[in-house]
Amino acid sequence: MGFWQRVSQLDRRWIYLAVALAVIFPLLVPMKMKLGITPEARQLYEAIEALPDSSVVMLTFDYYPSTVAETRPMSIAALHQMFRKNLKVITMTTIPLGGPSIADRTMREMAELYHKTYGVDYVNLGFKANYTAVLLGMGSSIESIYPSDQYGTPLAKLPLMQTVKNYDQISFIFIVADNGIVDNWISIVNAQFSKPMGAGVTAVMAPKFYSYVQAKQMTGLLGGMKGAAEYEMLVNKPAMALIGMDSQSMAHLLIIGFVIAGNVAYFMTRKKKESNG
Amino acid sequence: MKTKLPIAIAFLSGLAMVAVFILNPEKVGDMEGELLQWTTVIGGFTLLLGVVSIVRVNWRPVVRRETGWLNNAALILSVAVMAIPSVLPVSWSPLFGTDGGSIYDWFFINLSAPMMATMFAMLAFYVASAAFRAFRARNAEATLLLVTATIVMLWRVPVGEGLFVAINPRLPNLINTYVMGGVNVAVQRGIIIGAALGAAATSLRIMLGIERTYMGKT
Amino acid sequence: MRLARPVGLLLLLILLLIPELLAANGASSVETGWFRTYRINAVIVAAVFSAAVLYYTQRARRGDKLFVRKIAGLDEVEDAVGRATEMGRPVLFIPGIDEIDKIDTLAGLSILGRVALITARYETPLYVPVRYPMVLAAAQEVVQQSYITEGRADSYNQDMVCYVAGEQFAYTATVNGYMMRERPAANIMMGAFYAESLLLAETGNAAGSIQIAGTAQPEQLPFFIAACDYTLMGEELFAASAYLSHEPLMLGGLKGQDFMKVLIIAAILVGTFMVTTHLGGDWMRSLFEVR
Repeated sequence: MGFWQRVSQLDRRWIYLAVALAVIFPLLVPMKMKLGITPEARQLYEAIEALPDSSVVMLTFDYYPSTVAETRPMSIAALHQMFRKNLKVITMTTIPLGGPSIADRTMREMAELYHKTYGVDYVNLGFKANYTAVLLGMGSSIESIYPSDQYGTPLAKLPLMQTVKNYDQISFIFIVADNGIVDNWISIVNAQFSKPMGAGVTAVMAPKFYSYVQAKQMTGLLGGMKGAAEYEMLVNKPAMALIGMDSQSMAHLLIIGFVIAGNVAYFMTRKKKESNG
Repeated sequence: MKTKLPIAIAFLSGLAMVAVFILNPEKVGDMEGELLQWTTVIGGFTLLLGVVSIVRVNWRPVVRRETGWLNNAALILSVAVMAIPSVLPVSWSPLFGTDGGSIYDWFFINLSAPMMATMFAMLAFYVASAAFRAFRARNAEATLLLVTATIVMLWRVPVGEGLFVAINPRLPNLINTYVMGGVNVAVQRGIIIGAALGAAATSLRIMLGIERTYMGKT
Repeated sequence: MRLARPVGLLLLLILLLIPELLAANGASSVETGWFRTYRINAVIVAAVFSAAVLYYTQRARRGDKLFVRKIAGLDEVEDAVGRATEMGRPVLFIPGIDEIDKIDTLAGLSILGRVALITARYETPLYVPVRYPMVLAAAQEVVQQSYITEGRADSYNQDMVCYVAGEQFAYTATVNGYMMRERPAANIMMGAFYAESLLLAETGNAAGSIQIAGTAQPEQLPFFIAACDYTLMGEELFAASAYLSHEPLMLGGLKGQDFMKVLIIAAILVGTFMVTTHLGGDWMRSLFEVR
């Protein structure tokens, strides 16, 4: 068997090993490369930046624990901006498995950092089943959908919720999601209640949502770890996503290398077959 | 009757959802929410079917001591450990239910969540292997796809972006505008419009009883 | 005239609605009447679409020949099952990983019915793992009926269709494990798929199975195309059941879809022209706005 034939039949476990090394190595030796900001990320940042002091925003935690590497840095970066700007934050999740605990932990950590008070500066509504009914129902009354918050406190007892009855009092919705729920936010809340919104989604989902940004149904978009890293740069709080970009750089280069090697092997073996008749 | 009744129910249910879309909720009340609640309730009942199925399929190998029966036993045990404490009332003990500090929550945070993240992370390995094996410049279309994919992969990471900036500082923005915001959006819209029409036509076929295979009628 | 009554009911509803809707003057989303008049455009589009599908279905009933282009992936289904029979290995069918209320899942179940007819005919083992209990109940019914139709009720076993896990990646791990242990000769994946698509397809490829996939989720298509032998894209998934059935009545629906697509293309071209030339672009845009 010739060299190129051996390359074309390479055991996939070697590929797995190479990917593992390409991901781990940059985490041990960071490269700290410069990163550009896409217009979609900047638009999202500027839309929130333009909100007046004490405006109410909604931040959703619509993601499973499986995608936290891509999505949680987006939530954290968004909270840096929201709390720094003294915005009032309402959070919720449509994910039953893990959504409530991720929201709870993230909100507690960030509120502590910015000395924010629960019930006054932020409220965690938690999870409610049947997302279509939830998204629609909050348009008329949040309290009818969520009689109490994540911790069982009636909404009437929370000072922030005394001024927020439905979407009318919410200035902007920032969705962080790893699933098709973004379509529902757009088709229900943006289309029917004309609420401005932006989203942070996983890299594989991002291409789909460019059309919503172009149609102005979404103000901005963050795609995957790159989007999260861009937002970290915008809020000037470099963290996990920016660190992860080195690994992503190496992994992408490696995959391109594999594609080139695979193609060279393909053409060399095909040429050899043709010359052998 | 056995054929007609389910079709009639399917038709009326579909019609009800269409009516809900155009009827004013101020007049008819929250019909949509009500109907969706029904679905949730039916879903709750079928949950039992799921539990019966999973236990039945895995119980047999355990009883017969088939190869790998220990795995089946571990699965049944896991179902019991996660399910039983989560349905017991919290008033009995804070370990029950699904709140923070419960048995369910502990297993979810410390076992389930990392396992989910691991499975998702495995995508990186699979993407590399699939790209190596299947991404071939066999013809003009495949070559175009390959070149575009390489450009986008480079553009998405700092090292590639740096390379493009070195060639021309406007290049990353041009890729964003023309590849992602141009070609990509056009293709996505085409597929979405086609799929939406297909879904609507299938719904109509189901409502009218033309398509009945999904309910076991051929 | 099997369709006459439901079609009549649907048209009656539309007829009753249109005058009421046309009577509305404002575009306000605050309504006091019985209908949300601001949704008149959606109702009209739905009515035109329904009429087109019904018209072509009726034409098909009358015996008109309807041309449907070849879909290679679907033509391959029977061969794949035949190959499994020869090799004495099972066929794995995944009806997507979403709930029963997702139309993609229903399309997947319809295809399952056709596939089960073939596996029943050849007495090929079939395995259908599902993620939701409601899909379990429906899939069991579909497979059982197919086996009864083929006169092989005795070959049907309830555990051919089984619930494996409600969590996406637990489900994927179970199915991947099955693929590597049992090495099915054919993997047919039809329905709604998400992040697990490549995990399933790559494992199936490593197991040496023939793979036919179909999904309407655009973001998952590249993964299936890379790792499967045949992929149905977008609307092909919804056309699959009609295609496999060869029933003129079902094929009529596809023709109605095409008619609607022509109207949409025309609207896009006219809209683009009007917006570009500032000839009533805002009016055109408001015509298609759905709230």
